[in-house]
Amino acid sequence: MLRERLIEALGSGAVMTEPEDLAVYAFDAYTAGGIPAAVVLPSSTREVAAVVKIANDCGQPIVARGAGTGLCGGAVPVAGGVVIGTSRMNGVLEVDVRNRRARVAPGLINLDLSRAVRSDGLFYAPDPASQKTSTIGGNIATNAGGPHCLSYGTTVNHVLGLEVVDAGGEVFVTSVDDCGYDLSAVLTGSEGTLGIVTSAWVRLQRLPEATGVWVAAFGDIEAASEAVSAIIAAGIVPTALEMMDRVIAGAVEAAFSAGYPTDAAAVLLIEQAGYAADIAACENAIAAIAKEHGAVSWRSARTQAERDALWAGRKGAAGSTGRIAPNYYTQDVCVPRSKLPAALRTVERVSRDYGVTIGNVFHAGDGNLHPLMMYDKRDLRQVTAVVEGGNAILQAAIDLGGTISGEHGIGFEKRGAMTRVYTTEDLATMARVRDVFDPRRSLNPEKIFPAGTRCAETTAPQP
Amino acid sequence: MNAIERAIPVDELELSNTLLAANATGCGVRIIGGDTLRGMGARPHIGFEIDTTAIDGVVDFEPEDLTVGVLAGTRLEQLSKTLAQRGQMLPFDAPLPGEATVGGTLAAGWRGPRRHLYGPPRDWAIGSTVVLADGTVARAGGMVVKNVAGYDLSRLYVGSFGTLSVLVRANLKTLPIPQRTRAFHAALPDGARERALAQVRELSVAPSAVFWIDGFTSADDGVAGDDGRLMLLLEGTVDSVDRGTLDLRSALGRGGVPAARVVDDGASTALQNIVDAYVSALGQRSITYRIGSLPSDAMSAAETAAEVARRFALRCERIVDIANGDTIVRVSELDAQRLAASMHAFDAALHERIPQAVVIACEHPERESLQVWGREPVAIDQMRALKRRFDPNNILNPGRFVGGI
Repeated sequence: MLRERLIEALGSGAVMTEPEDLAVYAFDAYTAGGIPAAVVLPSSTREVAAVVKIANDCGQPIVARGAGTGLCGGAVPVAGGVVIGTSRMNGVLEVDVRNRRARVAPGLINLDLSRAVRSDGLFYAPDPASQKTSTIGGNIATNAGGPHCLSYGTTVNHVLGLEVVDAGGEVFVTSVDDCGYDLSAVLTGSEGTLGIVTSAWVRLQRLPEATGVWVAAFGDIEAASEAVSAIIAAGIVPTALEMMDRVIAGAVEAAFSAGYPTDAAAVLLIEQAGYAADIAACENAIAAIAKEHGAVSWRSARTQAERDALWAGRKGAAGSTGRIAPNYYTQDVCVPRSKLPAALRTVERVSRDYGVTIGNVFHAGDGNLHPLMMYDKRDLRQVTAVVEGGNAILQAAIDLGGTISGEHGIGFEKRGAMTRVYTTEDLATMARVRDVFDPRRSLNPEKIFPAGTRCAETTAPQP
Repeated sequence: MNAIERAIPVDELELSNTLLAANATGCGVRIIGGDTLRGMGARPHIGFEIDTTAIDGVVDFEPEDLTVGVLAGTRLEQLSKTLAQRGQMLPFDAPLPGEATVGGTLAAGWRGPRRHLYGPPRDWAIGSTVVLADGTVARAGGMVVKNVAGYDLSRLYVGSFGTLSVLVRANLKTLPIPQRTRAFHAALPDGARERALAQVRELSVAPSAVFWIDGFTSADDGVAGDDGRLMLLLEGTVDSVDRGTLDLRSALGRGGVPAARVVDDGASTALQNIVDAYVSALGQRSITYRIGSLPSDAMSAAETAAEVARRFALRCERIVDIANGDTIVRVSELDAQRLAASMHAFDAALHERIPQAVVIACEHPERESLQVWGREPVAIDQMRALKRRFDPNNILNPGRFVGGI
């Protein structure tokens, strides 16, 4: 019945129900999976709406999916249902150069937007490391970050308005310029539990006139993290301030020959974009702080090719760890920036105590850590060590006043940890928003909220 | 009008108890901070007021993290002073910062002129503590600058006009004060306007604010002339402001603007004066509207508003925030009685041409009968449903917000 109705609405070329096809959509970049009842690839808002209505009629939950690069199981159909893939809705629909904005379809690949508007002297600022594959729709669902959100802010700061298919299959639109509640803000980062974005107006930025990219090497990771804290404390907010340790720099160099020193315990990648006159002054100020904190070398990328190579290495860092171990698990926690040295000490201790090789590559300027824990999934002992060690890092971040996810999301993976940072009342308040947009919990069920949240939310009367 | 009772809770617990009691009896409350934006929205139907200004203080300033936790009743000026001691600031640009509170500014979703560069206040919100209508104390976000754990309720509360919850504490990102701020004032002959503004758009050093001003002598800057005037703000390093100054001078020259007066000391005051003018009423004889549009449409919206005002023989003054596309229009008469004679017809005529016009300042006793929020947003149903779910007894600022929320 489900299959027939979906085919009737979308055509057989846009509906998959064969086990070998469904298996492709059972996973994202997280380890747990779930087999959906069907996968659809709609081409329009109207088709998305039709699918939602059909799924409702058939009692099937709905999971929207972009490129499936999420690390927390956000796109995994853990309760089965219909997966709506946005890959065929991938266009740049309008570019308004004069007002620096664009309307895009949700399946548009992040980097493709910046490429499309480059000749107009514009770019789209949010740049998760996955930007060559991840979609704007998925970025909106997770409020994705990236190295450059240090100065430009995360995805939510760049969303101007959304077209959304709601849980009942009806379409509504939001705009940050409208009076009334800022629905764009609460929909962004809601991980597909409040609606399915079918198009978005996003903000574009003017390409900077000049860019400086520098690499500072340190003898130990703590000195590097103290340098990061000192840069921020000095009131300097570069456009990006990234750190990688020896483990990662070695893997990156082996894979990319990007230009990072491999003999240093930690490397900072620093970028400042802006006016040509400011770049040199900024370099001097940051270099002085770095040296004060024990930097053993400082290098300035001289050409665009050198800058690009450094960034390609940084963004390919996680993938390059395949040379170290067959599998890795990325933790994503965020701490107040001055707590970075303490957080990194914990990571080192966890590596030692649990016997896990950990590589660090992360958005240091934001205090957003990404310890990459290497393991072989065929070895249960290693798997256990990673799970327990990852948990210890999570708890340490909370104890330092931080949070359980800086940019990857909660998804399926971390829903149980939500009670560690929020009270029952806090979560029940979030659930009130869910009650409005998805009262039957048919949109991406079993995500964000810990199992059993329904009990808490029934304490408030239904209108 | 009878004097309305006012509760002045000193902390989250007192606020919670006050709301709990109001909710139990279904008694409407008006939530106020500095009351500087009293000209926005309809008058709520209420039993009493809750004054939040006693819940104040900068409680958790972490200069090394560029973050601050501040209680809602804190005056913006007090917050600015505390931040400035460590060379930091928040680019909120709200009117009357000596009176306006952090809570009120966020609740009103204030969007100031420098937001095209820095983002609006909501982009600086990283966490919040609120009290809901039923007295529940709830937090969202935290003290870290990136946080995707759960729904971003802090940003939902920003701009909700106190109709979903009452803010107790906001956690905010801060930013370093620019090395230099420089203001430029120039008379702008109407004949040169279009050309000059086109030149300004192409500046390589983007100004942090660009205004075209016509009237509003309270925001006066000593530039005389019958036509409008131009005010620009450059911010940044000493080098970039110096370079921007050269760029700007030659751009204005090409645009046919003879001379600009440069203000270094007092540049921030010049900006503040303009923002204060947004909400300055001429006694009971004026109405001020804010018109949001695309930057490319802002000047034509300002023209349209003036045209409609002329039809009703109303004096019309305008501030156009060119970079963001905000137009502030103040229409006035010689006295309140005369205004009463034409204000309703004018309001209807204005909304016919510019449906999104919102009233932001008006002391006239009949302001209630204006279309103070302009047209309803497209997603009004979703908004009403949110209101019902957060405040089922409709006690928080009932009726003040758009669509009767």
